[in-house]
Formats: sequence, C-alpha cells, structure tokens
Amino acid sequence: MATTTRQLDSWAVLRDILQREGVARQHLNSYNEFIAKGLQSIIDEIGETEIETVSTPYKVKFGRVELGRPRIVEIDGSVSNIFPMEARLRNLSYSSPIYLDMTIEEEGMSREATRQHIGDLPVMVKSDLCQLSKMSKEQLVMSGEDPNDAGGYFIINGSERVIVGLEDLSPNKILVDLEKVGAVATYKARVYSSVVGYRSKMEVTLKQDGSINVKVPSCPIDIPFVIIMRALGFKSDKEIANAVSPKPEIQDLLEVSFDKANEAPTEKDALVYIGNRVAHGMLEEYRIKRALSMLDWGFLPHLGKADDRRYDKAMFLGEAVCKLLELRLGWIEADDKDHYGNKVIKFAGQMLADLFRTSFRNLVRDMKYQLERAGQKRGGNVVGAAIRTGIITDKLNNAIATGNWGRGKVGVTQLLDRTNYLSTLSHLRRIQSPLSRSQPNFEARDLHATHFGRVCPSETPEGVNCGLVKNLALSATISVSVPPAEVEERLWELGAKSIRDIPEKLALEGCKIFMDGRFIGYVDDGERLAKAFRKLRREGQIHPSASVMFYEATNKKGYSRLYISLSAGRVIRPLIVVEGGKPLLTQEMVSKIAANELTWRDIVERGIIEMLDANEEENCLVAMSPEEAGAKHTHLELYPGAMFGIAASIIPYPEHNQSPRNTYESAMAKQSLGFSTPTFPLSTFVRQHLLVNPQSPMVRTKSTELLNIDERPFGTNAVVAVLSFEGYNIEDAIVMNKSSIERGFARSFFYRLYEAESKQYLGGMRDTFEVPSAESNIRGYRGEKFYRLLEADGVIMHEATVSGGDAVIGRTSPPRFMEEYKEFEIKGPYRRDTSVAVRPTETGVVDSVFMTENVEGGKMYKVRVRDMRTPEIGDKFASRHGQKGVVGLVVPQEDMPYTADGVVPDVIINPHAFPSRMTVGQFIESISGKAASLRGRTADGTAFAGETPDEMGRILQEKGFEPTGREVLYDGKTGRKFAVDVFIGVVYYQKLHHMVADKIHARARGQVQMLTKQPTEGRARGGGLRFGEMERDCLIAYGASMVLKDRLLDEADKTEINVCEKCGLIAYYDAKQRKYACKIDGDQAKISTVVVAYAFKLLLQEMMSLNIAPRLRLKDAV
Amino acid sequence: MTAPKVKVLQESDDEISLQLEGVDRSYANAVRRFCISEVPSMAIDDIVILENSSVLYDEILAHRLGMVPLRTDLERYVLPERCDCGNPLGCQKCRVLLVLDATAKERPRTVVSGDLVSEDREVCPVNPNIPIVKLAVGQSVKLEAYARLGRGKEHAKWQPATASILTEGKGEGVFVLKVETSGTMPAKEIVARSIEKLEEKLKELQKEVEEKAAQ
Repeated sequence: MATTTRQLDSWAVLRDILQREGVARQHLNSYNEFIAKGLQSIIDEIGETEIETVSTPYKVKFGRVELGRPRIVEIDGSVSNIFPMEARLRNLSYSSPIYLDMTIEEEGMSREATRQHIGDLPVMVKSDLCQLSKMSKEQLVMSGEDPNDAGGYFIINGSERVIVGLEDLSPNKILVDLEKVGAVATYKARVYSSVVGYRSKMEVTLKQDGSINVKVPSCPIDIPFVIIMRALGFKSDKEIANAVSPKPEIQDLLEVSFDKANEAPTEKDALVYIGNRVAHGMLEEYRIKRALSMLDWGFLPHLGKADDRRYDKAMFLGEAVCKLLELRLGWIEADDKDHYGNKVIKFAGQMLADLFRTSFRNLVRDMKYQLERAGQKRGGNVVGAAIRTGIITDKLNNAIATGNWGRGKVGVTQLLDRTNYLSTLSHLRRIQSPLSRSQPNFEARDLHATHFGRVCPSETPEGVNCGLVKNLALSATISVSVPPAEVEERLWELGAKSIRDIPEKLALEGCKIFMDGRFIGYVDDGERLAKAFRKLRREGQIHPSASVMFYEATNKKGYSRLYISLSAGRVIRPLIVVEGGKPLLTQEMVSKIAANELTWRDIVERGIIEMLDANEEENCLVAMSPEEAGAKHTHLELYPGAMFGIAASIIPYPEHNQSPRNTYESAMAKQSLGFSTPTFPLSTFVRQHLLVNPQSPMVRTKSTELLNIDERPFGTNAVVAVLSFEGYNIEDAIVMNKSSIERGFARSFFYRLYEAESKQYLGGMRDTFEVPSAESNIRGYRGEKFYRLLEADGVIMHEATVSGGDAVIGRTSPPRFMEEYKEFEIKGPYRRDTSVAVRPTETGVVDSVFMTENVEGGKMYKVRVRDMRTPEIGDKFASRHGQKGVVGLVVPQEDMPYTADGVVPDVIINPHAFPSRMTVGQFIESISGKAASLRGRTADGTAFAGETPDEMGRILQEKGFEPTGREVLYDGKTGRKFAVDVFIGVVYYQKLHHMVADKIHARARGQVQMLTKQPTEGRARGGGLRFGEMERDCLIAYGASMVLKDRLLDEADKTEINVCEKCGLIAYYDAKQRKYACKIDGDQAKISTVVVAYAFKLLLQEMMSLNIAPRLRLKDAV
Repeated sequence: MTAPKVKVLQESDDEISLQLEGVDRSYANAVRRFCISEVPSMAIDDIVILENSSVLYDEILAHRLGMVPLRTDLERYVLPERCDCGNPLGCQKCRVLLVLDATAKERPRTVVSGDLVSEDREVCPVNPNIPIVKLAVGQSVKLEAYARLGRGKEHAKWQPATASILTEGKGEGVFVLKVETSGTMPAKEIVARSIEKLEEKLKELQKEVEEKAAQ
C-alpha cells in the first residue's frame, strides 16, 4: 500500500492533539468556561434583588463572583483544602466555595459591601479549579493520583460521577420541516432560542389554509405571525412583508396571514391581542405590559432582552417565515435533523449552568424573604445571615449524585466506569441523545454521513439504546465558544451589510448572513465572503473554532445563506488543507511534531490543518489519501483510522471484520479485566477487578500507544488453535490449557469494599465499633463464630481469610425506638447488632482496612476484601473481534495438541465461530501475532494502515512457518498427527468480568417471600429457580401431573385453610372457644380443612376486600 | 515386532532428540506424556511469610516462587507421599527449606531467584536471575519456602520438561521424541525417568491384575 507510510506519519499530528488536550478535554473546556464566564453571566442576569420593607425599601446588588480552592469544612468548623484522593477515601464531595460580592443600596447610596459565601460548587477533577491541573506528573504521583488519569468527572460523597455529553439540536438555528399527517401537510420552522442556562422554543407553522402562526412557550395560544410583527413595532404591511422577503412569490403567500391579522391593525391592538392571551382578564395597561415583557423575555431570548432588540427579533421572525415559505415553494429542502451540523453536545458546563441558574434564583428568593422578614432591623452582616448556602450546595450535589436534573431529566450523570482504563476513557467520551429510547426513532439511530470522524461508527450499545448512545471518534474535538464581537467586526470589513439598513437589491438577491443564530445582514457574494473568512482564519486572525458555511441556493429564486458558528459544543475534526491538489502538511512538519518541536496548534494557526464542523464540511471535498487529492479537493483526511472511537480503536484489523463484530467488541472491551488504575491500593470502589499478569498486545494499534494501553493493559496474549476438541468447545465454548492457568494465565483479583460509619442519633447516642458480646443485651446477635476474626477495635485484621457471613466490621447501634425505661425489666436498654458481614456467596482475604472520619465527624471504616480468581469452567473470555465464549473444559497439558516445535495452545476455539461471523480480522491478528512473536517485535494492526497479512505471512515464511498460519498438530492423547493442518497463532484474549464464581447458584430449601410464601427470587436472596409457564406446559403435555403438583404446590406455597362448607368462606380460629368458627353460619357451620396454594388464599382475601364473596364449594375427594 | 532401537539424533544439556524404532506409538506417546506429568521434580510448594511489605500479595509471591525451577536430584529425595517419615511437615528426604530475606535499603531493588538461600546447596534455582518482586526503598520480604518433589499432573510448576514432543520420523514406525528440560534435571534423565515411571506403573498394574485374578 502506497498510502501506508503517509498515514503512519500524519498519525503524529493526531497523537499530538489527543495527548496534549487529553481525552476529557471536552468536559474540561466546558466546565472551565462555565466557571470563568457562565457563573458570572448568570449572576449578572439577575443582578440585584429588591427588599421591600415597610419603611425603607433597599436593594442588594450582586457583584463579582469568585471561587475558592477545593476544601471541606470539618465538623469542628475548621477548613482544610483537599485533593481528590482524600475526597474519594473519606466519602467527601470535592467542591469549592463560591463567593459573591454583595452591596446594599439604599436610597441610591451604596453601603455595606461584603463578600458572601453563597454555596459550594462541585469541582471537576483536573479543571482549572482543581489543584491537579497545575501539577507535574511527579507531583501527581506524590499526591497519590494516577498521572494518566484523564479527569473530567466530579467526586460527590466519595463516588466519581461523570456528566455524560448530551446531544442536543443546535440552538438559535431555524430548522424547517414538513410534517404530513395523512394528506394534510404542515410546514414548520423551529428555533430553540437559548441563552446561558435558559431555552425557549419558538415554532412557526404554516397551515394548509395558508395562515402562519407563531408558538411561544409563555403564551398558551398560537399568535398570528403578522400580529407579532406589529407588536414588535413594524407598522406598515409593506414593512412586514419586506421583513420576510421582497420577492413577490413569497409575498403572495403572506396574503392569508394579513387577512387573519385584521383584528389588530395597530401596534397597540397587537399588544392587546397578545396581552389578552398571556394575561387574560387583567387591566389593559397590565396586559400590554405583560405582552411586551413576553416579547422581550420569552420570545427569542438569544437576541437579547432589551426593548431595542425588537427590530432584530422581528427580522429574525421574518427570516423564519421566509425560510418556511421557501420550503413551501419547493425552493429548499427540509432541514435534516440528524445532520451533525444541526447538533451540539452539552457537557458539564452547560448542564451545571441550568442547575445553577435555578438554584441561584431560589437562593435570591429565599434571601429576599429572610431580609423582608427581618425588616429594618439591620445588625452587622444582615445579608450574610440571610444566605442559606445549602440551597445551592445541596441542589448541585444532589443533582450530580443522583443524575436528576429536574424537569424529568434523569440519568444525566453516571458512576464513572473503572472496570479497566479503556472503559474509563470511553466513558468520558460518551454522548447521550435525549430522544426517548422507548420510541423507535429509526433515523436518529442511524449512522449519518456527517458522523464520519466525529462519532464512532462501531461503538454503540445493542438494544434499546442502540444509536442513541454514541462515542466521540478519536479525531473529534469539541469547539469552544469564540467571542462574537471581533468576528462580527471582520464581517463588516469584508463587506457585509447590516439588516438595519439594507438596499432593496441586496434584500432581493443578496446572501443572508447568520452569526451564531443571529440574522445580522446581507452580502452580495456569500461565497466570496466565506472564502475571505477562511483565509483570515488560516492566517490566524480568526479563532480556529469559528466555522463558516455557505449554502448556495439550489433554486435560482431562493436565497443563498451564509452561516457563521462560534458556539461551543459543535463537534469539529482536524483536516489537512489542500491547495491546488497539494496538501499543505509536509513530511518535515510531521517529523517536527513527532519530535515535539512543533505542536498541532502551531500548524492550525498557520492554516495547515483546520478544525471543521459538519456544516463547513458540506462546502468541502475531502480526499482520503494524498494520491486521490486533485484540483477540486479542498482538504485531505488527517488519519482515516481516527474515525473510530476509543473502544473500537483497539481492534486490530477492524476493516476486515463484519461491522457488527466491531460493535460487539467495543462493548466487550469495556468489560474486560485489566489494570484500571495504579491507585488501586488505595482505591475504594465497591467492586473492582485486577488482572494479575496483564500484557500489552502483540498486535497493537496506533491507539495502544496513544491511550497508554501498554501501561494499563486489559488482556493477555494467548496461543490459540482453531480446532474442535472432543465437543467441549461447541457453541462458542473454549478449551483451556490447565498448565497455562497454573502458570498464571488470566488470573485476577476481585475486590469488594465493605463500609460502615458511626452515625449520631437524636438524643446523643451513636453507633459504636466493638465486638458484639454475647453477654451484653444485643438484639440480632449472630453467634460468636461470626465475630471471631474481629480485633479489639471491632474491625477485622489484615490478611484474615473470610467467608460468607463473617463479620468484617463489628458495630452496635442504639435501639430504633427509645422505649420508656422499665424498672422491672432486668436486662435494661438493649443495643442492636449492625455489624457488616461478608456477602453470603463470597470469600476472600482482607486486603486493606481504612479508618477515617466522615464529614459529619463520625468514625468510618472501609474494609476491602480480595479474592483470587483463576480461570475455571464457565468463566467468560473474548478476543478483540467480538468472539466471546465461556471456558468449556480445562485440559491437562499432556492431553492438549502440540506442534512439531512443542508449542501447546493456551486456548482452543471452535472453527464454527468463523464462517457465519466473518471476523477475518481475528485470522489476521492470529497470523500477525504469530509472526510478531517470532520476530520479537510487536505488529501493527491499525485500521487501514496496519502491517498487511501478506507482509506478516512473509515473516512467518522466513521463520520456517506456513504463511497461512497453519501447522501440523499432533493429538496429545495418541501422539498421532491430525489429518489436516490446524490454524494456530497468537491472539490477544480478554477475561471478561462475568465469572461463574459470581453467578453459581442452586437451592434445595430456603427462604420464602413474606407475602406469598413462595420461594424468593435471585441468588442474593438464596432464591429458587423459577419453574415457569413453559416448563409447566411441558409437564402438562407429558401428563406428569404428580410432578406438576409437586413443583407448583407441594414445593411452592402449599397451605391449609379452613373453609365453612355451608357458606364457602374462609373460617377463622376462635382462640376463646379453641375451635374454628364461621361468623356467618355460627353453630351450623361445618368446617373442613382444604389444601390450597397460599397465593390462592391471598386471591380470595383480596377479592373479599373488593366486596366480592368468593365461595368455595367443597366436595369429598373420591 | 523388531527389537526397539534408539538413536540419539541430537543432545545438549537442555535438549535431547531420540529416534525410536520398533516401539509402538502408544508406548512412545506414553513416554512423552510421562515426561510432562509423571516425572517428579522439585518446586516450592509451601511458604511461610514472615514479612511481606512488597506490592505483591502473599498469594502472588507464593505463585511466583512456585514457578521457579529448582535443580532436582531424584536419588536423594522422594515424593512426600512415598516418604516413610510420616511427618506432615516433611523430613530431610522429602523437603528442602529455602529462605528469602531481602530488603531494599538505600535504593529500590529487584529480588531474584538467586536471593533464595537453600539448606541443600544442590537444590537451588536453575537460573539465579529470575525476577521475583521489585522492592521500593523500605520494603522487605522475609519468608521460608519449602520445596518438595511433585508431579506435573498435580501442578504445572512440577513439570520437568518445557517441551516434550513426539513426531513421526522417517519411515514406517519410526518416531522422534524430543524433550527439552526446564533445567531441573538433564533432558536425558527426564526420558529415562519417564520410562522408569511408566514401567513402575505397568508393574503396579500387573500386580493388581494378578491379585484380582487370583481372587
């Protein structure tokens, strides 16, 4: 392949981007922007609050906001700065105090300027607020952190939570659509108008009758378009029509709208019309006021809230109508909602802005209430006394801890996946779509052409979330917001004309210019402007995140439009600029980047590579390889293999696999055990695995190095033979060499954390850590043998071997309800045993014991138990090609087949795993792995650029092997040659975290449910195995009625009930008379015992509670 | 059947290649299999950890020590189950004590197999440079390790042969047996012991058959 060397080279650029920026850059940028600007702008928006006291009303004005260092306030009031590790260990929240300058303004005079602590803001690990972002690798190691940790998550109550990226429709963009319900076609133009933390959806509808109405969220009823225009201050009909478009075809379509607006011919009438709908039944003056405030605050808020913005709003609305009518006329196509240019991704910063906005408003409201109640009594620091910091702190902490963002948004945050290093990185690049997973949404789930290089085509879950949960591609970066003022200045310089003053000719033929959803003006030649804009950007005069897209009218009569996007959250990707068929990136520059003499930012500033969003890419022609690049091409792919995401990028030779296999592997790689973090000696994850002898793969990909897989591997290289083995690898089972296991193949540790803290109860009692003793009156005492391993402090010792039920932390608690102390009671007040015991199904060795203090000042213990797991029958393994299987047999080495060199496979998989699944990539990996092992150097299997099977086959041949990877194998049992050659090579195998030891379960007798008296369900409760309706059908078909009765009655919920034969109702036991009695039939009752299922008895009683009398008619069994 | 003929094709300390003629395939394969699973060799089996402040857990340390091949003298040692001492802790004839006492004082160090001090100079690691564990400054490992004879079928650490291959030689009924040793004992001894153990087993079988037939 001629392209191979070239692609290898430009990889250095991509590596530079990802290594310099980090995998979680998108989270960090978003959060940093929020703390630098967002926070202040939300506060400024509210600005002040009026305190309306009876005598002298005053104002509290808000000034600058500032954030302190991450810290906690201990129970004794002392403040200590903390690092993430301490937060994780002590179950603390990693957050910083928010300080706000407040000034009291009374009768126009400012007095009492104070700085107030208004609450705590959760700190994103490695953000600008976090101490770790300023540390060198060595310092990070010294402070107990993983130097390779990507950051980008929060620590709330000790647990790591990620705010996954949320995909959203681009804000402030007019999207037109055609909705057909039967034969009725409705044209719609939608705009999600958003400002920091607030959004309002405007919808313009063109009905079948030709009327155009506008829907605004704060108004319950749609308002005719012309009325809104009049309310916004457009007086004449001509003015209104021209705001839409001076083109006669379009103006013709407005006729109906003008007719419908006859009832409100003037501005005042229009305002009253709107006022009638937003504030029905109020005074006229008030109605007009409400209508105006609706127009200023609730209508297109992204264009501003001041009354001088009404002209812009009207022009914007006019444009929305124009675009709508162009669609109606067939001049343009409906917008594609799934186009990635119409999407932005919201990260932590935007999400926190939403929350902070509401919680800050609540705080201000509460403060106002408190101050008004306090009246004029103003001692020192009244304002400080009126601030309840909990309002903001609790709201933010709660939301991040639970993922409930309010307004029905749930699952916004997730617990950071620490299964292995790869799963953590992948989790940080995940994107969620807000679309309902219960609806089909077929198009939204499909892969879209604009996803290329932005979203991984392979990595998505199967099932309900398929295509809705996505992952960023390696080459994807998220744009940051660009200050609009200077860009706008450039546009005027380049000849753009403002909408405030447009010559008619331009409005008729010109190209409309939009900047970040604002309709700002016209230009005669949009294409020229776009080119000039790009030139400036390539010269470094405009920020690289700014994008320009020129839409050229496909229909002569239609408008051309130029869109400039400066917003944060667009997915952009690097491309090499091509001029005259020649890529600008030279070999020399790449070498300099590889040698760290140049950074990617340098070449971006020089206009050699560009970061393009999906919209701008519509104006480009991108060549895949330099050879392909011709005169028409504008760009060249930087590195085609970077179209994959984190998880898919570790698959060797993915281009040879059937595509769903790469999807399966992307999911499985995240379940494989490995070395997730070097901090694991101190890690306090509830469940954690560690592979004892992890290896970096023999067949690597470019991202193996990029993602530090060599330092954090998640699998083992195995010699794999493709061979049937006595039927023990049928149906994807795998046969494993017993000696390999004994030598340590795929050995892992499982850690479980047990935690207990001492709580303080009302009345001053606390939990105490102690060895519960049989003598003192303790409820729920489990017996001496369960506490035998506890030491004097009530906690188990290090390296103690524990099994199910053994207490690891001894603790007693005060009684739940304090009873009155009874003097005659000999025993006195009791305590409850609340010791923490090892899970019933688990065993292990006590690995570490942590003792610390929680934020409430209570003593806290964390005990970690480890359990060594060697592979056994039933453990799940997978290669990197979606080929998973469980161990079906463990075979002694002497029985295993061997090659003429004496190589014995570690794993034998069945040949049937291949034909239908077409995972050719695994074959190639196997050959490459074998050749790489023979030559003593790893092989490269990167997508589109790896060492080819031919090359690797040649190496095999040089070393005296078949280039096909096939070899003569001998049967270990007989010493006989196999009749055919067997395919054998080296494949990277992953041990997945589904192990039999966690799942094995059987039951003879055991617990029953309290309500139904049927056996419990699930392994954790020692439950039974359900004899379901299909199993029941089998017994019925077979006629095995006795077995049926045994399963469903005798061994389930058999009970005896007493029934009055006369009335057929259930009788009861009368304790006084010591006999069964029936209330209805009294002495005449004849009561018999009947065997029924307890569930049936319940049914009878439940019916009785519904006023139904179910009567049993009894007969003697014959 | 012709009388068995053996020709040494190649021999070195670690490896031996034999051409077998006049031997049935099943017999030859049995010899191959016995080289792996039945010929006893020495390996550390039981350790008493006095101190382990290294990063590796006791069980991993134990596993790594177990995998160290030790020189084996089958004349002087017997399998514990065959030993007449009756002592569960073993005796001079059925176990060897090795001591490991390593501390990283001034600089980090790697503990290697050569740091194991054996009570029997003959029973020592085959290669003194096998890394066991890395110690950071201040960490130390102190333990007593008991090595004993065992068989490969019990655990892979007792396999004396790293490779034991039976392939077809030139001509009908000709086989090539190639055995490579882990260094516990010379390759040719493994083959000899393998045949010996096979004969022993067959004798036991013979005895059993005679006893059962006599009843």
